[in-house]
Amino acid sequence: MKYTAIRIAGLVGAALLTACAGLPGVDAEPAPPVSANSAVVALVDDARSAVGAGKPDAAGAALERALRIEPRNAALWQELARLRLSQGQYQQAESLAARSNSYAGTDRRLRALNWRLIGDARNQLGDVRGAELAYARADEFER
Amino acid sequence: MPRIPWKSALTRLADEVTWRRTRIAGLTLLLTLAAFALYLDIAVRAQFEGKRWALPARVYARPLELFPGGRLSPEQLVSEISLLRYRTVASGDAWTEPGGFQRRRDEIELVTRPFQFGDGTQPALHLILTFDDGRIERIRRADDGSEVTLARLDPLHIGNIYPAHNEDRLLVRLGDVPPALVESLIAIEDRKFYQHHGVDPRGMGRALVTTVSGGGVQGGSTLTQQLIKNFYLSSERTLRRKFTEILMALLLELHYSKDEILEAYLNEVYLGQDGERAVHGFGLAAQFYFAKPLEHLSLPEAALLVGMLKGPGTYDPRRHPQRALARRNLVLSELRRQEKLDDRQYLAAKTAPLGVARQAPGSLTAYPAFIDLVHRQLRRDYDDADLRSEGLRILTTLDPLAQRAAERALAARLPALEKARRLPADSLQGAAVVGDPQNGEVHAVVGGRDPRFAGFNRALDARRQIGSLIKPVIYLTALEQPERYTLATRLDDGPLTWQERGIPDWQPQNYDKEFHGEVPLPLALAQSYNVSSARLGLELGVPQVMARARSLGVEQPLPAYASGLLGSAALTPFEVTQMYQTLASGGFRVPLRAIRAVLTPDGHPLQRYPLAVEQAIAPAPAYLITHALQGVVRAGTAKGIERYLAPEIAAAGKTGTTDQLRDSWFAGYTGDRVAVVWVGRDDDASTGLTGASGAMTVWGMMLRDLNPEPLVPPQPDDIEPVLIDPATGLRADAGCADAVELPFIRGSEPAESSPCAGQAPAGKVRNWFQRLFDRD
Repeated sequence: MKYTAIRIAGLVGAALLTACAGLPGVDAEPAPPVSANSAVVALVDDARSAVGAGKPDAAGAALERALRIEPRNAALWQELARLRLSQGQYQQAESLAARSNSYAGTDRRLRALNWRLIGDARNQLGDVRGAELAYARADEFER
Repeated sequence: MPRIPWKSALTRLADEVTWRRTRIAGLTLLLTLAAFALYLDIAVRAQFEGKRWALPARVYARPLELFPGGRLSPEQLVSEISLLRYRTVASGDAWTEPGGFQRRRDEIELVTRPFQFGDGTQPALHLILTFDDGRIERIRRADDGSEVTLARLDPLHIGNIYPAHNEDRLLVRLGDVPPALVESLIAIEDRKFYQHHGVDPRGMGRALVTTVSGGGVQGGSTLTQQLIKNFYLSSERTLRRKFTEILMALLLELHYSKDEILEAYLNEVYLGQDGERAVHGFGLAAQFYFAKPLEHLSLPEAALLVGMLKGPGTYDPRRHPQRALARRNLVLSELRRQEKLDDRQYLAAKTAPLGVARQAPGSLTAYPAFIDLVHRQLRRDYDDADLRSEGLRILTTLDPLAQRAAERALAARLPALEKARRLPADSLQGAAVVGDPQNGEVHAVVGGRDPRFAGFNRALDARRQIGSLIKPVIYLTALEQPERYTLATRLDDGPLTWQERGIPDWQPQNYDKEFHGEVPLPLALAQSYNVSSARLGLELGVPQVMARARSLGVEQPLPAYASGLLGSAALTPFEVTQMYQTLASGGFRVPLRAIRAVLTPDGHPLQRYPLAVEQAIAPAPAYLITHALQGVVRAGTAKGIERYLAPEIAAAGKTGTTDQLRDSWFAGYTGDRVAVVWVGRDDDASTGLTGASGAMTVWGMMLRDLNPEPLVPPQPDDIEPVLIDPATGLRADAGCADAVELPFIRGSEPAESSPCAGQAPAGKVRNWFQRLFDRD
């Protein structure tokens, strides 16, 4: 059956694409693993699937659970900030990104992401001037 | 045409009329009866539904998270599973039932109970945990040895509440009632319960005969009938009453299953009197008489309760223990006669003591102060209409181990303090709140020295002057102005007179009644000097300092006059905890919360009003104030914490003492806990205790029990550590032996250097400074 052949070819192609997407260097900047703790990693996976499934509250609960395990994990705070931004909770998002910054140490990539997120949140809150300042900070960390 | 005699026609007419009358009368009677039955039907169903749906919300503590690397000693795990009443499984026994455990030398094997969490149901898990150095090392499944990265224990059930109102009831589901109790109940009260249709004709007949013949109304009531009697709580004993009751019983059985009726009975039946409060239902009775949940009643205890049904007053085991014992044993022998028990069970049960708790528990829950907080926050954070639905499950933040540590510390320290200070026994009171600095979750609330007593909740309602607990707010306000104040600033602790129109002159004094001249800023805070602190606050402006306190989370109105700087404001321990949470989290104020989620019976979370999380302090000044508060513990008024916590915990905290030693406070935090303790007297009399001699010792003992994480705040970007010569507060060379490292907000570090090599006068200040900041 020729359809079968096409299907197989399609599957192989899709598999290759998936594999490539996971390879380092394919992404412009691969995000480092969120944590060395496998419990935290599992919870972040849960949170991301919940977002994909349109269940932001479940995602929030999973991230809060992860944060109880690693309250000083800047990447987790960032993840939660991003979630709140997508939920339209801009004030929260800004504050959580600031929280992430407080634990980010020398992670310039994460700091840039946080400042950009803060800029977006401030824009949504109508604070255009504040947003500009935040984006400028993000630029500093991206340099 | 037949002739009809007028007389017979008349008779016939009369007959017809009579017949019609009879028919009408009969019909009317029938209709009346039907209407009556209908009325009863509606009434009894309304009653039943009303009771049936009065199922309370079940309240749970936080589940203990199990994951490799988690800080948990085997002892802590055993404490938790003991609270959960896991059974010890003897070696060689089968691991069939959930809720069993076995502790071996280095590992713990257990089977969790299944539980429906907010994110789905976790089935029973059979796990083996190993430990290393106070942490979980590995978790494996017992069946195939595969690694488990994350699991939860089932959470402790801490109480049942009616979220929409504040009533004490303890309803149970049939599935949670011990089979021995159900069996005894049916054997004694209504042997044919599962066969009859609401009434037992033979029993009824007997009862009817004795009633009619004037022998008094006898039993013979089925459980269904007894339930109806309890619904209407009438002791009226007439035939009419009996008739209504029978009719209602039949109707009830038409509508509901046997199990539904039995469950309602178990929850409704009258079992005694607790002062003003009637004890209804076996759930409440188990608590009231045995101080334990119904699930955990033993056979003789169950038999006693069943026996008491005949006359809860007559067989009250507290007032008439002999009678109660005889009655219980009668029940047991009847059970034996019906072969519900074998000889061994019967003998063991018959010889068991009554087992009644000496005192009725003051409250239905072991955690009344915490449950009180849950109640308040439910009403604050959730929609009333949502809370009225039945069978909600409330997942809270209570950490039973923290709660126990707090209770124990108060219970141990208060009597010891009374003894040491020669205070009358039981004169001191106390309260404690423990929370998570990062997410604001409340781990423990103790409302008084008897933590089981649901009376005055001092943690939430005792508003007391906070004394020096306000001082960190003054210093924070100062450190937020790096161009004026740093940790190297010198403060003036010389005599101070404050004049303000309309109020008497104010001359603050130090606790030691001395003035200390020029003192380093961190020393003034660490030693809690009143004069230099007040002067600093006045320089900053009282309204500015009070505004800062508000932004840290104090919602109470604060005094706008100078004495407010020394803590004339009155706050509750809970409010103080909120204030210190903001400091402990590096400046992020998170409203303290006791509820994680409220789930509907099908597991969906209820919508809650959003929480307002805010950055209240910029990271750098937050870092500096925590640094200074660590100095209080390291070498200041709270140095005594070293008796409880290792120096590497580096806790931050502040003592608080009020005039005439009325209130003794301690507020502080570690890496993973923020906690506040108050000790004082309800009558506001002097305790003879300072913050350090009273509350701080409770705090120290409590935290020691919690095995806290060290406090290592992340260093913000704009913080720069600089070597300082303690004697002058100026920069020091790296070569200076006496130099200490102090954090500065970038740009605020002193520009001038001090020539070191011992030119500055050595002395108290220098030594103290070295202790304060020497981190080795």
